[in-house]
Amino acid sequence: MKKILVADDEMSIRLLYSEELKEEGYEVYQAANGREALEVVDKIPLDLVILDIKMPEMDGIEALRQIKEKRPDLPVILSTAYGEYKQDFATWASDEYLVKSSDLEDLKAVVKRYLKE
Amino acid sequence: MASERAAFLTQMVEVLTSTVSFGERLNNMVHLLARNLTVDLALYFGLDKARETLLLNVSSQGPVPPHMRLEFPLGQGLVGETASTRKFTIVHRRQPGVSAANAPLEKLHPAYQTLAAFPVADDNFLYGVLILVDREERSLTPTERQGVQLTCLMLAAALRQAIVQEEAKKRIAELSVLFEVGKALSSTVELDELLERIVSTTAKVITARGASLHIIDGATGEPRVSSRYGQIPPECPALPPIPPGAGSGEPPYFEKGSTDAAGHTHYCLAVPLTFKGQLTGTLGVYDKFNPNGEYLPFDPENRQLLLTMAGVIVNAIENALTYQQVEDLAEKNERMVRSLTALQEISQVMLTSVQEERLQEIILQGLTQEHGLGFDRAVVLMVDEATQTLRGAKAACRSPANRNLPNLKALQVPPPEMIPVSDWEIPIRVDQGPLALAVLRKSSYHHHQTAKEPGLPPALEGKFAAQEFFVVPLVVKDHATGVILVDNQASGRPLEPERLHALQMFTTQAALVLENAHLYSTIETNNRELLLIRERMLESDRLAALSSLASGMAHEIRNPLVSIGGFARRIAKLVEPNSPLRGYVEVIQEEVTRLEKLLREILDFTGENLSYYGDHELAKLIEDTLILVQRDLDAYKIKVAREFALLPRLHCDDRQMKQVFYNLFQNAIQAMAHGGTLTIRTYPVERSDGLYAAASISDTGSGIPMEVLHNIFNPFFSTKDYGTGLGLAIAQRIISRHYGQIEVNNEIGKGVTFIVTLPVAKYCLVKDAGQAAVPASVFKAP
Repeated sequence: MKKILVADDEMSIRLLYSEELKEEGYEVYQAANGREALEVVDKIPLDLVILDIKMPEMDGIEALRQIKEKRPDLPVILSTAYGEYKQDFATWASDEYLVKSSDLEDLKAVVKRYLKE
Repeated sequence: MASERAAFLTQMVEVLTSTVSFGERLNNMVHLLARNLTVDLALYFGLDKARETLLLNVSSQGPVPPHMRLEFPLGQGLVGETASTRKFTIVHRRQPGVSAANAPLEKLHPAYQTLAAFPVADDNFLYGVLILVDREERSLTPTERQGVQLTCLMLAAALRQAIVQEEAKKRIAELSVLFEVGKALSSTVELDELLERIVSTTAKVITARGASLHIIDGATGEPRVSSRYGQIPPECPALPPIPPGAGSGEPPYFEKGSTDAAGHTHYCLAVPLTFKGQLTGTLGVYDKFNPNGEYLPFDPENRQLLLTMAGVIVNAIENALTYQQVEDLAEKNERMVRSLTALQEISQVMLTSVQEERLQEIILQGLTQEHGLGFDRAVVLMVDEATQTLRGAKAACRSPANRNLPNLKALQVPPPEMIPVSDWEIPIRVDQGPLALAVLRKSSYHHHQTAKEPGLPPALEGKFAAQEFFVVPLVVKDHATGVILVDNQASGRPLEPERLHALQMFTTQAALVLENAHLYSTIETNNRELLLIRERMLESDRLAALSSLASGMAHEIRNPLVSIGGFARRIAKLVEPNSPLRGYVEVIQEEVTRLEKLLREILDFTGENLSYYGDHELAKLIEDTLILVQRDLDAYKIKVAREFALLPRLHCDDRQMKQVFYNLFQNAIQAMAHGGTLTIRTYPVERSDGLYAAASISDTGSGIPMEVLHNIFNPFFSTKDYGTGLGLAIAQRIISRHYGQIEVNNEIGKGVTFIVTLPVAKYCLVKDAGQAAVPASVFKAP
């Protein structure tokens, strides 16, 4: 079973993403900020990370940088309420950049594309 | 014997002290002597004024006829010797040399034998010689001699008295003449009147028929003044200036007599007038006459009198000349003060306005009003730099002074318009006369009819005519901005040179004020532009503030919306298809979707999205966008008509450009809810700054109501029940980012056409050129 980490400071978003992805047949881990996300990356052999950008303690951009340092092969999808971070070069290290939407079909399609055997 | 002597002396004293005239007394005395001494003849020879000759004055035989007038030079004959020695002498004819020396006396007494001579003298002065002549050779007794000598002494005293009296009389006469002259001189300081009085008084005093006076400027030889009185005979020469030392004695004079055809001899006498300065002059009299009307020559006394008068009148004339100069100066001064006051008042009024046209009116008023410079006509012409011509700006003619208004107010009343001058156009070239020259040479001109130079330029033929005029340039910082033209054509008054000075002073002021007004209007224009820019900047500031507020809110809302929408979808999956809950959940889903769409639009508008610039074909962009709205076009039965020209590629952000067309298509579709035709055309547009590609999108709807047309590009303005009202605002924003324009052609009842014009790649600046340099390997479009 593929392992996905959902990192978002909004509990409701974590819950929504987890429920949806579990339904798709993934094992889902959760983190409330960048620091927690890095801990999970260290412990669990993850297959994909969904990162929010605006988070307390450590934001998604810093987390992205460190994750790519540790595991350059690990796909990271940035999922954010903000479109303008696209202009931040640091976000270009991510594999995908998605603006959050209540319709999760796009997200699920992208995840599926990366986790396809 | 003694009583005889006493009787004789008594008689002599009686004769000498009698009140009859001196000549009579002398006569009587000579007779008395001849009778008492019983001699044949008693003669009195008087010493002449030159004190050189002794003339026979009186004879005891009666009046001396002219041919009997004897004279002896001093020292010659008994008469002359006695005058020299002043001693009593008695001689007899038989004595040697007597007859020869005294031969002239034989005329009076051919047979004389005895001559007795007595000097008539006092202590220091010899008046004459008394001679007693007798046919007998005889001598005089001492008594007789003493008697005669005593008589001679008395005679000398009488003569002295007579001379003094004569001199006193002359003095009195002279004084009275001087008094007359003085009276005449002091009665007036008017030069002309004074000169008239001088010549008339001179003529009267000298009893001459005419008198004249000339004064010339010694330095230049130009006559200064002259005056004449009475009759000046044509025979008399014009009076020459009299050089010092002219005439036989001191001081100089000129005297001449000439005879006319009728045999009358006309005399003239002239003396110099010597002034302190460079002036010289001549005072002359003509034709002296006696009470019987006979012409007489002038005598030395006349000459003396004339000289005295000349001395007196010189001062008076000098004073009068000075007075006249002072008066001239005073008048000039007064005129100057008047001009300066007028100028000062006009300047004060000129400071009340900064409007060029109003100022020109005030300037014209100042030039033409009586209180101002008072010219008959005045025209202001301004230089047109672009065409290098002088153009008529404004003109006015002389207006009567407005007595009801104070001067300062009167100057502010617009002057009556004269002839129109707006069509005056004079090329600024040297061959165009003083108006153009005044600009080119920055100098004033005074044109007279007699001037050789050309007058008004051909451009003014039939529009303006003047024989004499002034042209003064309006010069500011060594640059002529226009000219002022004035004349006195209507009244024919001459243009005096001082008026030109006043006009020049005035023009200097006017030029400055006009320049100020010009600068002021430039500043005003700039200010208006700045205000406009500021307003636009404020507007964009407001938009920016609104953007940041909207953006902040949008982001905050997005997370909860995702949760609400996401969970609603999850619920929807769990709800039975026919459960009433399904509808409710769908409402939540739809509303969230709508809100999310709104958020996207707002964030698009606030510039969240990146630009992806590349070279794109306009037709392709349009076709791609049409695919997105194909479903709606089909649903509303809208036909599409295409008319694409072959165009170069555009450098643009294709996604943004598709957004523009998408929004425009959406509007068109909504305008044609009951079907219609969407016409899309592309075509090239050539403008001065380069080549543009245009796309027009026309619908066949009902058009945009006029009352909302001006609002369609405003953000958040919408006539629809749905939509954010951002569609056209976003479109406009994107187009302007691409340095293009969007226009609307609205025909009520027929439809709307939007025209998008975009610059073709090579010819325009690319705002976000840096973006194109991003390496594709790092950057992956979502």
